[in-house]
Amino acid sequence: MSAPANEPASERVVLGIDLGTTNSLAAVMGRKAPLVLRDADGEALVPSVVCFADDQIRVGREAKALALQHPEQTVYSIKRLIGRAGSELDADVASLPYQVERGERGLPRMQFHGKEWSPEAISALILQKVKAVAEASLGRSVRQAVVTVPAYFDDAQRQATKDAAALAGLECLRIVNEPTAASLAFGIDGNKDGTVLVYDLGGGTFDVSVLRIQDGVFRVLSTHGDTRLGGDDIDALIAARIATALAAKGADAQTKDPFVRQALRRAAENLKIELSTRAQATLHLDLGAHGNHTFAMTQGELDDLARPLIERSMASVRAALRDAELSPKDIDHVLLVGGSTRMPLVRKSLQDRMGQAPRADVDPDLAVALGAAIQADILAGGNRSLLLLDVIPLSLGIETMGGAMSKLILRNSTVPASKTEEFSTQVDSQTGVDINIYQGERELVADCRKLGAFKLSGIPPMPAGLPRVAVTFLVDADGLLTVRAIEQRTGQEATIRVVPSFGLSRDEVRRMMQDSITNAFTDMAAREHLETHNKAIAMVRGTQRALELADLPSDQTYSIRKASKRLEKALAEAVPIEDLKAAIEDLSQLTAQIADDVISSAVHKALAQEPPK
Amino acid sequence: MDPFAVFGMAPAVDLDRRALEARYLELSRACHPDHHAAAGADAQLELLTRAATVNEAYRILRDRWQRAEALVALNAPDALAERKVLSPAFLAAALELAEEVADVAGGSADAAKLRTRVDHLIATEWDAVCAGVAAGDWANAATRLHQSRYHRKALHDLQR
Repeated sequence: MSAPANEPASERVVLGIDLGTTNSLAAVMGRKAPLVLRDADGEALVPSVVCFADDQIRVGREAKALALQHPEQTVYSIKRLIGRAGSELDADVASLPYQVERGERGLPRMQFHGKEWSPEAISALILQKVKAVAEASLGRSVRQAVVTVPAYFDDAQRQATKDAAALAGLECLRIVNEPTAASLAFGIDGNKDGTVLVYDLGGGTFDVSVLRIQDGVFRVLSTHGDTRLGGDDIDALIAARIATALAAKGADAQTKDPFVRQALRRAAENLKIELSTRAQATLHLDLGAHGNHTFAMTQGELDDLARPLIERSMASVRAALRDAELSPKDIDHVLLVGGSTRMPLVRKSLQDRMGQAPRADVDPDLAVALGAAIQADILAGGNRSLLLLDVIPLSLGIETMGGAMSKLILRNSTVPASKTEEFSTQVDSQTGVDINIYQGERELVADCRKLGAFKLSGIPPMPAGLPRVAVTFLVDADGLLTVRAIEQRTGQEATIRVVPSFGLSRDEVRRMMQDSITNAFTDMAAREHLETHNKAIAMVRGTQRALELADLPSDQTYSIRKASKRLEKALAEAVPIEDLKAAIEDLSQLTAQIADDVISSAVHKALAQEPPK
Repeated sequence: MDPFAVFGMAPAVDLDRRALEARYLELSRACHPDHHAAAGADAQLELLTRAATVNEAYRILRDRWQRAEALVALNAPDALAERKVLSPAFLAAALELAEEVADVAGGSADAAKLRTRVDHLIATEWDAVCAGVAAGDWANAATRLHQSRYHRKALHDLQR
């Protein structure tokens, strides 16, 4: 049983969660080091997949297993849609087998079970699953978490992720950048002081961060990236290549068909993974009504396909180094994060660029969650020796005359960061000013992302130009922007109403939280499951200990041992809750027969030791 | 904001980089919201603002040009605004330099020669800024700071 080893060091448990495009997982700080939390089968990775088929909601491995059967009702790669809207979604939506509609403000919405789903709500389902796995492993409930995002996520995408956590019943104490979290996992054991470059190529996003580790302070010097570059894109290229090859052989591989599309995607992913360790791979493709096919590819062919994408990532590496005012020789350690860094081409390209081999001592799948757990521990007050100083990835600014972008907080500024700007009125007795906020590096706001519109109101009526409204833009440690405004002459605080361009409005979040009464049912079921699970673990442990101590007739020992083994098996196989309860009942009847015996006392002792909930 | 005061360091053009960095980490540890997660909302906002100020001060102090500008602003608050207009002769030369930078082929021998020239121009401006600060001639220091922007821009463009 893994539960005792995972008992957290402190009373308050804050999870570190890596919410990935392809997989998600949780970790928690143990007594000395962070630990990844695993389910009953020992699996840590929860596929970030939700299946709505058969009037059910399935999340994780179960959902992924059904993706081929129900391509139109299986949602994956939702991270590519979160915090986005309008035409910027077109490329992503076109390649997905499930339907994505445009809702209010051009926001992506999906229809399942006669209900409308936002990317936040889908992400919340994934987070709930991760939370449930963590709770079962820890044997206690959890309410707080640190959630990671790509460093290059902008304000809207960060806020949307935080909203998803709230919908999942988790208070998000901090949004942490994935490469920064990975560097924490790498540097936690000390004596790693120096300059680190983290190359993080995940399923859907790419980040590169340059950090300096010094006396427990992890300071990000620069970050760069591409929120639309990842393993998914390489899979899509391979899938397109397979489709072309099939078409050339006269096969009907209609990529419009959701089933074929999903099958090709899955096949492409498998081929890519196989080619990470082999020079050549052959694929047997069963397209059902569209026939059986084989397809072969060499590592060289894959490299040629993927090279333009990897080159794009290398351009970001150069940009990050330039912003940090460093050259490759200044970097002491190169870290690889994200499953896609298993591709030999990635390792070779990076080695060529950096002039050194990347480190192999960080698991690319687990590093981000482990680092998030460390940051969770810092926030829970468990660790004061470490400190993370991160940066804002993209400049924040406002629209000025002629649609120019006036940058207030420059990219790679350490957060928290703030800037105060004065505004006035243009018309006599004007009481309100509209301010548009943008994020990006280009000179014109038309080329940047509009984060939202702010309406300054409540300005005292005065002749034009006389009011002096000081607007303070504050970016907190999550990289999230808040705005405050004070009229300087009167000292009156002007009201600001934010209309976000992306994601959920504050009202929507509130409403959705209220709607989660439906979730309360699942929560209750989860709690019952958890409690039964814990009881079973404690009983198995207690019985074993007691049998060693007690001097019982051999037939009695035998039947108790047998019942205990049955319970253990029921636990390991994750049987339905009723069956688990029955197995507990069987064992407790056998042990109860021996009144006042050492067994029941030991069992009760073990039960009393159960961790608090 | 006086960045020197935020750091509790005597205003100077030259600061010891290591001492500056050590002080920055010390201040960050003291006021970073992460180390005070249990504090109330008001205290949190206060810390957030304080941490933002420390970060901004550090951004200024670690860059010698911005540091010098802060020093000038501290001693002669209007000098930088008053000395914004540069001489036509300087502007003509700066324009010519910008054109040369735009036309030169990256990696060529000409580019290397141009780079040496720009480096020399920047070094000359820096020495003049330092001399102005040392003599308390804030007006001249301000002019040189404005002039240096053109040469620093040229260097930036050459590095592309």
